[in-house]
Amino acid sequence: MAQQVPVGAPVGGQTAQPRSTGSALDWASRNARLLAPLLTFVFLFIFFSLVTDVFLTPQNLQNIVTQIAPIAVAAVGITFVLLCAEIDLSIASIATFTGVLGAFFFVGDAVALGTWGIPVALLIALALGLLNGFLVAYVGIPSFMMTLAMLTIARGLSVYVSEGKPIFDVPPVLKALGSVSSQVLGIPVIGLFALAVLLLGEFVLGYTKFGRYVYMTGANREAAEMSGVDTRRVIMVSLAISAVTAGMTGLLFIGRLSSANPAAGEDVLIFTIAAVVLGGTSLFGGEGGIRNTILGLLIFGILNNGLNLLPNIPITFKQALQGIVLLAALLLNVFALRIERVRARTE
Amino acid sequence: MASLAPEPTAVSSTADAPILRLGGVTKRFGGATALDNVDFDLRPGEIHGLIGENGAGKSTLMKILSGVHAPDEGEIALRGEAVRFASPAEAKARGVGMIYQELSCMPQLSIAENVFLGRQPTSGGVVSWKAMRAAAAEQLGSLGLKVDPRAPLGSLSLGSQQMVEIARVVFSGAGIVVLDEPTSALSGPESERLFAAMARLKAQGASLVFISHFLEDVLAVADRITVLKNSRKVATLANAGLTKAKLIELMIGRDADALAESYAATGIDLPPPAAGKTVLSLRGLEAPGSFSDISFDLHAGEILGLFGNLGAGMTEIARALFGQVVPAAGEIALDGKPIRPRTTRESKRLGIAYLSENRRKTIFPRHEVYKNISLAHLDTLLGPVLRPGPEVAIAREQVGRTGVRPANPLLNAGNLSGGNQQKVVLAKWLTKRPKVLILNEPTRGMDVGAKREVLDLVKALKAEGVAILLLSTEPETVLAESDRILVLSRGRITREFAGETVSKDRLMEFA
Ligand SMILES: Nc1ncnc2c1ncn2[C@@H]1O[C@H](COP(=O)(O)OP(=O)(O)OP(=O)(O)O)[C@@H](O)[C@H]1O
Ligand SMILES: [Mg+2]
Repeated sequence: MAQQVPVGAPVGGQTAQPRSTGSALDWASRNARLLAPLLTFVFLFIFFSLVTDVFLTPQNLQNIVTQIAPIAVAAVGITFVLLCAEIDLSIASIATFTGVLGAFFFVGDAVALGTWGIPVALLIALALGLLNGFLVAYVGIPSFMMTLAMLTIARGLSVYVSEGKPIFDVPPVLKALGSVSSQVLGIPVIGLFALAVLLLGEFVLGYTKFGRYVYMTGANREAAEMSGVDTRRVIMVSLAISAVTAGMTGLLFIGRLSSANPAAGEDVLIFTIAAVVLGGTSLFGGEGGIRNTILGLLIFGILNNGLNLLPNIPITFKQALQGIVLLAALLLNVFALRIERVRARTE
Repeated sequence: MASLAPEPTAVSSTADAPILRLGGVTKRFGGATALDNVDFDLRPGEIHGLIGENGAGKSTLMKILSGVHAPDEGEIALRGEAVRFASPAEAKARGVGMIYQELSCMPQLSIAENVFLGRQPTSGGVVSWKAMRAAAAEQLGSLGLKVDPRAPLGSLSLGSQQMVEIARVVFSGAGIVVLDEPTSALSGPESERLFAAMARLKAQGASLVFISHFLEDVLAVADRITVLKNSRKVATLANAGLTKAKLIELMIGRDADALAESYAATGIDLPPPAAGKTVLSLRGLEAPGSFSDISFDLHAGEILGLFGNLGAGMTEIARALFGQVVPAAGEIALDGKPIRPRTTRESKRLGIAYLSENRRKTIFPRHEVYKNISLAHLDTLLGPVLRPGPEVAIAREQVGRTGVRPANPLLNAGNLSGGNQQKVVLAKWLTKRPKVLILNEPTRGMDVGAKREVLDLVKALKAEGVAILLLSTEPETVLAESDRILVLSRGRITREFAGETVSKDRLMEFA
């Protein structure tokens, strides 16, 4: 090959390899997307440990895990969707609807399926997700609009199925899964379940072809298409995954609360997206992943819990404060990513 | 409406005093040196050619001038005054405009808006759309582009988009205009019109830098030529008396005469038609508005060249074969069986590989080279669980084969020079031997040496029995290795050349 022939002149830009020494800064900026949320997490953890007595007790840590576990499951699906450079606004409604269905089938006034209602409810969530995906990827409705419509549809269906009333009986397996007292080695079972879903998500995204297709579709859809990736199918499947994980979240919620309320769960949407984006996954696709999501969930969980424990803060101010700290964390992320971008500025 | 195209800032200085001087510029990216103590000067009213191999540092040098990169060492003097541009906007404000190698237009915006990006004509603070459209139409018209300025830019072909980008900078009134490979997406007549526009700017006193791998073009338009090699400056020479072979010798330092040989003037003899097995056959293929009545056969172990100007419909035919456009009429048969691919995935699985002409649509700049390369073959080359080890190993082999520099599959693709990005895209399709390989401008943006290597690679694939369709608007590329050549014009095949002597002029006659 031409350029491999030495041509006399000392090596320059063409042949010089990137130096591996003296590049701690280089390494840091390369990994800014993980380091920024990691630092935020460590900072918040130390902060709350120091200023409150309660934060670092096993009991409280178990609380945090139980609180974020249901969100974590939906966050896995949202991570797929954001990596594809799409959005899913229907997760909260689908979660609620799936929960209502699980209880509805269990109670069995109209359709009695007992515990089998759980997989059936999840299949219905899957169907809604596929509908989202089909209309977005193959028909071309922007995901923002499509999932907004689905948000309304699923919410309406919850009310319709339950006749607008909470259902106070839920499958015992869900109760067992959701209760704080079910623990293995001091870790709440619901937390282990969420961890399993997160790890499965990490495996699919990081170590399978489909996961790679998700990243590359989000990074440059046309280029993925030009490499023979069926990007429409990738987007459809991602939206379907998101609906199924949202459905699981809904079922975990009814287990934890021992009832299914068609009017509950609206804040799942904001919490989930906030947690994922806090972790550093890009809203524009192609960058981030489950590791980021895990960090985002931890930050979000600690923040939520820790602010409650702070003395001298009026409870009425808590929500505003939570928003302010979220904003600060987001700014830190944006700042870190800007450093990374300057480094990687391309042609 | 000429008032919207301000005259270039007049330069009144003694004849040869440089309007701009870069002194001792050094630039490092991480540990790699992209520029090493480079001097460069630009005189008023000159066209200055800048040449060098892929990765030599041409784009980087000019990006330092236009405020994209800050130099690590060295200085910039504009009209004798030391300056430092923190951003392209600052450089623009001082009259330095640059057309980047990678398109930087906004495909969603209208053509007129793109021409006037960042400097819309206003009356009383309100954008005067009418004036803007009229001016855009006129400016593009003078570059030979007749389009509706209200149409979105993305609806134009790549070459026309490039013309719009050129218009934006050329008519901005900048006294210093840098053109980084402006013609690589243009066909002959468009390039000619661009050169005419450059000459007009020069006559008005502007100074231009022209980066190109088309050395004939550089020799034709430049007053002086600077050669970069391995991040250093080799020489700045007056054009008078220079030859292509001399330039290649300075750039690459070997095979200069062989590489300088041009098929364009003399013509070549196509081999007598040898009927291999028919792999792909098209009959009466038609897509309204793009092409009609396209019929040809492609044989195993054959390179079929398709030549035409922009808008001849070649890209659309390729897209139809690759499952991106479903033709309205006609048949495609692969190995004798009719096919009708509807997705790129389907085509890929049938054994059809397509290298697109548009780099923005082929490269993942923020992902590693190895991921860029493996994407097309994840389902066949690697097991169900992806592990970086084998993936990187495969990429490393391909990177070596195509001569990507630096040969490190772990770098982000966006950090490679333009020509090297193109090699990465090529490497992707060479990873697994396809039945049919469609190459659309495969050597775009490559230096003379790299072009030859790529054509040699294509020849090797042909020897292995791959059926190759080679599309180009550059006569040289088509002439170099084709066994047969089809010329297209306005969506129709106008002439087939087989077993005869053909030259650049003959090709152009039918385009
Ligand atoms: N943003 C960047 N980060 C890291 N390395 C870079 C970056 N931009 C350029 N380089 C490196 O600097 C060197 C010079 O690149 P440059 O783009 O200037 O080459 P060029 O002469 O324009 O080549 P081509 O003809 O292929 O466009 C190359 O080795 C390239 O890999
Ligand atoms: Mg370049």
